[in-house]
Amino acid sequence: MNPLVAISIGLREIAAHKFRTCLSMLGIVLGVSSLIATMALTRGIEEGTRIFMQQMGGLELVSIVNKEPSSKKYEFANLSPGRTLRDAEAIRRSASFISHVSPEISLNTAVAIEGGGNPDRRVVRGVYPDHFVIGMHKVAAGRFLTPLDIECGSRCTVIGDTVAKKLWPGIPTQLIVGKTILIDNRPFLVVGVLALYEMEEQARARRAGKRSNRGWDPFRSKNEAVLVPFTTMFHELRSGAFPLDSLETMKLETLTVRVGDLNNFDSALGQVRAVLDINHRGVDDFNLETRQDWFDRMESSVRATRLSGGLLAAISLVVGGIGIMNIMLASISERVREIGIRLAVGARQRDIFWQILIESILVSFLGGLLGILASLGLIEILKNIAPEQNVPVLTPDAILLAVGFAIAAGLLSGLYPAAKASGIDPITALRYE
Amino acid sequence: MSLIHLEGLSKVYRVGDQEIRALDEVNLRIEEGEFIAIIGSSGSGKSTLMHLLGCLDTPTAGRMEICGKNLTKASNDELARMRNREIGFVFQAFNLLPKLDVVSNIALPLIYAGVPSHERLNRAKKVAADVGLGDRLANRPPQLSGGQCQRVAIARALVNNPRILFGDEPTGNLDSATGRMILEMFDALHASGKTVVLVTHDPAIAARSRRVIEICDGRITREYAP
Repeated sequence: MNPLVAISIGLREIAAHKFRTCLSMLGIVLGVSSLIATMALTRGIEEGTRIFMQQMGGLELVSIVNKEPSSKKYEFANLSPGRTLRDAEAIRRSASFISHVSPEISLNTAVAIEGGGNPDRRVVRGVYPDHFVIGMHKVAAGRFLTPLDIECGSRCTVIGDTVAKKLWPGIPTQLIVGKTILIDNRPFLVVGVLALYEMEEQARARRAGKRSNRGWDPFRSKNEAVLVPFTTMFHELRSGAFPLDSLETMKLETLTVRVGDLNNFDSALGQVRAVLDINHRGVDDFNLETRQDWFDRMESSVRATRLSGGLLAAISLVVGGIGIMNIMLASISERVREIGIRLAVGARQRDIFWQILIESILVSFLGGLLGILASLGLIEILKNIAPEQNVPVLTPDAILLAVGFAIAAGLLSGLYPAAKASGIDPITALRYE
Repeated sequence: MSLIHLEGLSKVYRVGDQEIRALDEVNLRIEEGEFIAIIGSSGSGKSTLMHLLGCLDTPTAGRMEICGKNLTKASNDELARMRNREIGFVFQAFNLLPKLDVVSNIALPLIYAGVPSHERLNRAKKVAADVGLGDRLANRPPQLSGGQCQRVAIARALVNNPRILFGDEPTGNLDSATGRMILEMFDALHASGKTVVLVTHDPAIAARSRRVIEICDGRITREYAP
């Protein structure tokens, strides 16, 4: 039998039982739409992660983070001074594959302008000039901090775009350089203003005149930065809070290094580890965290999302398949006589088999198409809920995959009814009332 | 060479432990162009014989040749092919598909013969006109009278131009006037060269044939010309 004929018979049968067929499609519709939505969502997260990674700094960056020392070394863990400026100095001097070292301490304090009303509490960070490269900064006006600023411990600051706009609303960035702000009630000269950092999505939204504060902004900390020289931070701002610390022994809050050439990445890590081992007297209280680690962590969470979404979709598809099988079995017992007549006029068993199977696939395929429509709606809704940088991305392969699964569900659930129908004995079927 | 040739044909059904010999070593030859009636009371085995002749079933024992083909141990596909190409059925209950219109019902066997769709339609229309239903093509069976339904069934049986035409109590559901008309159609078909086999319990109908075979308890008990 010509498959087109089987399809047209199937369509007629579906048209004759629209409501029943729609009900039996429901599981497939749900399965397909949730599968597509999940894929779009995880795709969006991946995309967001990728852009975030690109804009937050490349694979060259390595963070040195604190870690619980292993139990063997627990007893003499307090021999280690922890992460200090000495680590940074040592790495800068001895680790030749490392191009930049950025130690950082910070203080949550009041930032205001003279006579400018209530001060904001902001995190003020003491950094070295290397932070410019490691933080991937761009200066919109003025300059960044220089070694001389560190040397002199001068009271100068570089502020982020958001801070500048907040303190001097409506004033062009160029004119902000040279003004004075009060940090912890001490005057600091603004020597530079950083560029506005934003993702493509945000930039597009801003240009379109839309304000949206939805979701988590990866550049928030950069745009809200108030950067001062490390030494100034220590002597002027922190000494009161931590009087017993010296510049050498004070614990760093973050220590980030940049590998000069990615080809030497592993050697560079080895160098850093060796230097830190000596400085920390063999106590393994630090960990080197690469951006690849971050990426892997995000990857694994994306995978988990995809898996759970996929599982949900799979369950829906299985349930949908059972629904179709159910309806096909019901349809067959209604059509025993029809099948008998078809057999009597010369249909082969395999013609009947194909007819039922194709009908079942048609139902699931139509369900799949409806599922695509439903998923478009679902994705629209998700677009309004999901964080801006993780906007769901609909890809053709998601649609193909989902429809493929729908068809497979129809095929599998049609096999048994089709086999059952083709096994009907024509004589019994013709007598069937 | 006979069109239908049966030798020692038996059909045994098993119901639980019981063996039912529905047909018991039947020998029969039917030549091309004959008009035969198989007559018997209910349970005599005439239906079983017709199912075997109509390639709806296979025998338990014996030999069966139809149109020169040995069908004793035929596969389901071979039987389906015979039903499609060589045999046309007309049933008591018409057995039309109520969801299809007249043309599609008539064209049904052509689907399984692999005939392309426009040719299916043309041939079905032509046969419909032959049985006098040329103006009823778009109607569906529930809108037709019994006689019209049976004419659709005859048209369907004829559409693939088979050599043998079976009628299983073809007038059983019709009033006598309509029944006569249907039987006249069978007469005409016989006259045009078809081999016609009627299965009935009614001697009056059997009397229209040229040769009557009487079956009782699975055996041919009598054979006569009316």
